[in-house]
Amino acid sequence: MSEPKTILIVDDEEFIRFALSEYFSVLGYRVDVAGEWEEAEALLASRRYQLVISDLRLTGFGGTEGLEIVRSIHQRWPGTRVMLLTGYGSGEVKAEAVRRGVDAFLEKPMPLPEIARIADCMLARTA
Amino acid sequence: MTSFPAAAPNLVDRILAPGGLRVELQPILDVEGALTTVHSYECLSRGPAGTNMASADVLFEYIRRKKIEQNMDRVCIEAGLEAGSRLPGLPHFAVNVHAITIATDPDLPAFLKKAASARGISTSRLTVEIVEHAPTWHEGSFLETLTRLRELGIQIALDDVGLGHSNYKMILEANPDYLKIDRFFVTNCHNDRKRRAVIRSIAELAHEFEATVIAEGVETREEFDWLCDQGVRLFQGYFFSRPRPVEALMENTWRENLAVAVSHKRSNA
Repeated sequence: MSEPKTILIVDDEEFIRFALSEYFSVLGYRVDVAGEWEEAEALLASRRYQLVISDLRLTGFGGTEGLEIVRSIHQRWPGTRVMLLTGYGSGEVKAEAVRRGVDAFLEKPMPLPEIARIADCMLARTA
Repeated sequence: MTSFPAAAPNLVDRILAPGGLRVELQPILDVEGALTTVHSYECLSRGPAGTNMASADVLFEYIRRKKIEQNMDRVCIEAGLEAGSRLPGLPHFAVNVHAITIATDPDLPAFLKKAASARGISTSRLTVEIVEHAPTWHEGSFLETLTRLRELGIQIALDDVGLGHSNYKMILEANPDYLKIDRFFVTNCHNDRKRRAVIRSIAELAHEFEATVIAEGVETREEFDWLCDQGVRLFQGYFFSRPRPVEALMENTWRENLAVAVSHKRSNA
């Protein structure tokens, strides 16, 4: 039996964390969640994930801290895929995210099965 | 059916709240010839169970990123001494303090004195382990605070020697009583020529500075035997005892395992 895929979900909204975490856990992923960037960074410093799904905006930052997440993850773990979710994504921000190497940039609301399908496709390309 | 969890309090508040930390103590053993004694207990903190912070690595990385080392160190000291004060006898305790706290918290000696005194612990039974020696450690009142800690009879240990910012300059200026060799160097040292060279080098440095080496992360008999042969006396690690809640330490069963482990070395000596 293969090892479960590992995923980190970063969102300041507890409901979003809960929904994504439950959904991906049922699909067989090993899921960690973080409610703030510092918590995510602390996890990333000691654990390796195949996929990070993060909100673009996290409490306490300037509004596009998800972009920093993309850069930080790619510097530390080049093999880790990053998916950004946002309800406020301008074309400019999306272009910047792509420039920084984001693997998927999705606009909320997005059905959970669709997020999972895209995640599967991203990880299949990695495998 | 899974239910949606109620809104949790802020994570920092949960960690720093009374009872937010779980404390475990790990003995540091003094093995000299036929005599093995508990030198001290290191007070170790873990975050709330069921959160990412239950892992010490994640917890302290988070604390550093939130830049609340000073608050955290104080909470850990209180919690550690509270747990330790329940042990019988007059054991010594090692508490971890970030270098940045020593540099920026001039009231730390008074705080330590008060926290220890409130629990009937003499400050001469305390060692401050300096951890995470950030590059700014030399700023502020770092050296002055170390002097004041020493005036209280508190000993100074340098944690993670050989890693990160625990460098020669730090050793020279902090003049620690103990150099703690990180598990990174101890693991498999008996089989690794380069690790052995690093450990010998630290031991020689300790000798010149009149400091005592503590080998951390000792997990096998082979590592223990080799370190004994190098003249190391103070040991900490799962080979002797993992960190345990104070209740488990008071059961004393771990001492029986310890006796077996150490006697094996003597029988081979």
